[in-house]
Amino acid sequence: MIRIGCRGCLSWCLLVAVGLGFFFWPPEATAQEEVASALRRYKDREASTGYYEEYEVRPRRQRPLVGVPGVARGSFPYSPSAAAVRITTRLADSHRGVQFYYNRRCQDCHPQQARDYHTTRGKLTCRQCHGGEPIASIQHYYSPLNPIRRHAYVCAKCHQGASTSFASYVVHEPSPAALETRRSFPVLFYAFWIMVALAGGTFLVFLPHTVLWGLRELLARRRKHGE
Amino acid sequence: MSRIRRFTLAQRLFHLLLMLSFMTQAATGLGRMYIETKWGSLVASFFGGYELSLTIHKWVGLFMLSLLGAHIIYVLATIEWRGFPRRLLGPDSLLPHKDDLKQALGHLGWMLGLAPLPRLDRWTYWEKFDYWAVFWGLFILGGTGLLLFNPVASSRLLPGWGLNVTLWVHRIEAALAMAHIFVIHFFIGHLRRENFPMDLVMFEGSVDRAKLSHERPAWVERLQREGRLEDLQTLPKPFPWRAAYYIFGYAAMIACLFLFVGALAYSRLVTW
Ligand code: HEC
Ligand code: HEC
Ligand code: HEC
Repeated sequence: MIRIGCRGCLSWCLLVAVGLGFFFWPPEATAQEEVASALRRYKDREASTGYYEEYEVRPRRQRPLVGVPGVARGSFPYSPSAAAVRITTRLADSHRGVQFYYNRRCQDCHPQQARDYHTTRGKLTCRQCHGGEPIASIQHYYSPLNPIRRHAYVCAKCHQGASTSFASYVVHEPSPAALETRRSFPVLFYAFWIMVALAGGTFLVFLPHTVLWGLRELLARRRKHGE
Repeated sequence: MSRIRRFTLAQRLFHLLLMLSFMTQAATGLGRMYIETKWGSLVASFFGGYELSLTIHKWVGLFMLSLLGAHIIYVLATIEWRGFPRRLLGPDSLLPHKDDLKQALGHLGWMLGLAPLPRLDRWTYWEKFDYWAVFWGLFILGGTGLLLFNPVASSRLLPGWGLNVTLWVHRIEAALAMAHIFVIHFFIGHLRRENFPMDLVMFEGSVDRAKLSHERPAWVERLQREGRLEDLQTLPKPFPWRAAYYIFGYAAMIACLFLFVGALAYSRLVTW
């Protein structure tokens, strides 16, 4: 029996060591990694040999979003000259031409975005992430919040060592219960509803069980100890 | 008045530590989650405010995980390894057994007045459920908690949007665990008529023999048959101890109900 205890102890120590390793492993300099599109970052900007085509430093899990969703795929790739159309997610000043912009608070026009964790709990202001005037569209090429550099330009100001993976945290989280989240963030939607079903199922069994039991004992004529 | 020992000192200590750390986690977690409301900031203020609450929550969380580790070692050390799986499948084991289903149905029949009380053994089906629910809860809450411990580090293991998911899983599982403990566990353990005002067994360690033969006749008979009943007899704890158990138990229950009612009442005021 003692020998078994020791073996248990040993495997537990090993587990603890692996766990501690996870927390205290020296971090890679993830904030400094530069991400380049597999597609066309340098092609757009440099009429060079195309030697830079792939990466300077291999990005980790996140591919930057450079294509225009639904607008330009395949034969009509996005480029600054081709996108003369006003694509609202690609503006250098996202409020250009928006009426009554000045002297209004961001929340007045973007109430949904003011519900995020950083604003309501962390007490951040919008500009701590979105920057001063002009506020670029998220996907504008030079926007600080462009996923290419969001981790280094914004998140790492407060979260030391933030990586591209970290920056893919969805700051303005959609409501996990809402039906449209099934399209925009399906993993969150399904995880939420699976957990709710688990919790609901447990109570569906145990609540009536407990209520019935309580009633039955309450209505019993006398205690039956010692019977 | 003879009493039968049901829990060892080590087991009661585990329960006490689990209970204290669970309550700390519930209070610090709820205080943070409800920080936008008056009630939430009141709860958080007991733990030094919003930020200190998180620090406490994290370290007590690690403590709970080490408690889980200690419990696993304890279980490995107390398992009867001779003739290995035999004892694990018997009535002294907490592993689910096909009789549990029969007893659950029988108990339901009794509640509806259709059947006599099933002859329960040492561990009943609802106690087994509670035991395994702690495992399941600690794995989910502990796993997601470890990932949230240091989001920058854990985003090396999972994509950053996984943190959105992780936090929600953590929240819902915590809500489930709290509601289960604060409503169902308290009611079955202490508030139903047979046990009212409080079942001291988990603090005192022993049960009144007459009550036990009514509640778990199969176990008592089995002990008698094996001649082990005499070994398990003990005396009741002296009065000051019992008084302390009542005071401590009721203080804990009232604190938990304060958390539960507050959390329900203020839930509409939180930006989810
Ligand atoms: C007068 C209302 C108004 C105010 C005030 C306002 N916005 Fe906007 N914002 C808009 C509109 C309308 C758009 C969409 C522009 C478009 O579609 O061309 C927009 C777009 C944006 C975008 C780009 C969204 C994208 O898809 O990339 C960001 C970021 C943004 N606003 C942030 C802010 C911040 C931060 C503030 C506060 C400093 C603010 N807004 C204040 C109306 C407003
Ligand atoms: C922690 C940094 C941060 C803060 C604070 C912040 N944002 Fe954002 N915002 C982002 C990021 C990152 C995105 C890109 C999409 C995402 O992650 O949700 C974004 C996207 C947006 C968008 C584009 C539409 C969308 O939901 O994706 C708008 C509009 C916007 N933010 C407005 C605001 C306003 C208004 C505030 C203040 C109430 C604010 N943001 C505060 C980081 C922030
Ligand atoms: C101006 C400082 C600041 C910036 C910039 C910032 N954050 Fe935060 N972030 C905070 C603070 C403060 C908290 C803690 C909030 C709390 O505990 O309520 C936090 C918390 C978080 C958390 C933990 C939330 C949780 O569920 O535990 C994540 C994830 C996060 N931020 C992601 C980001 C990302 C991604 C960016 C970049 C788009 C970013 N942050 C930019 C200040 C910042």
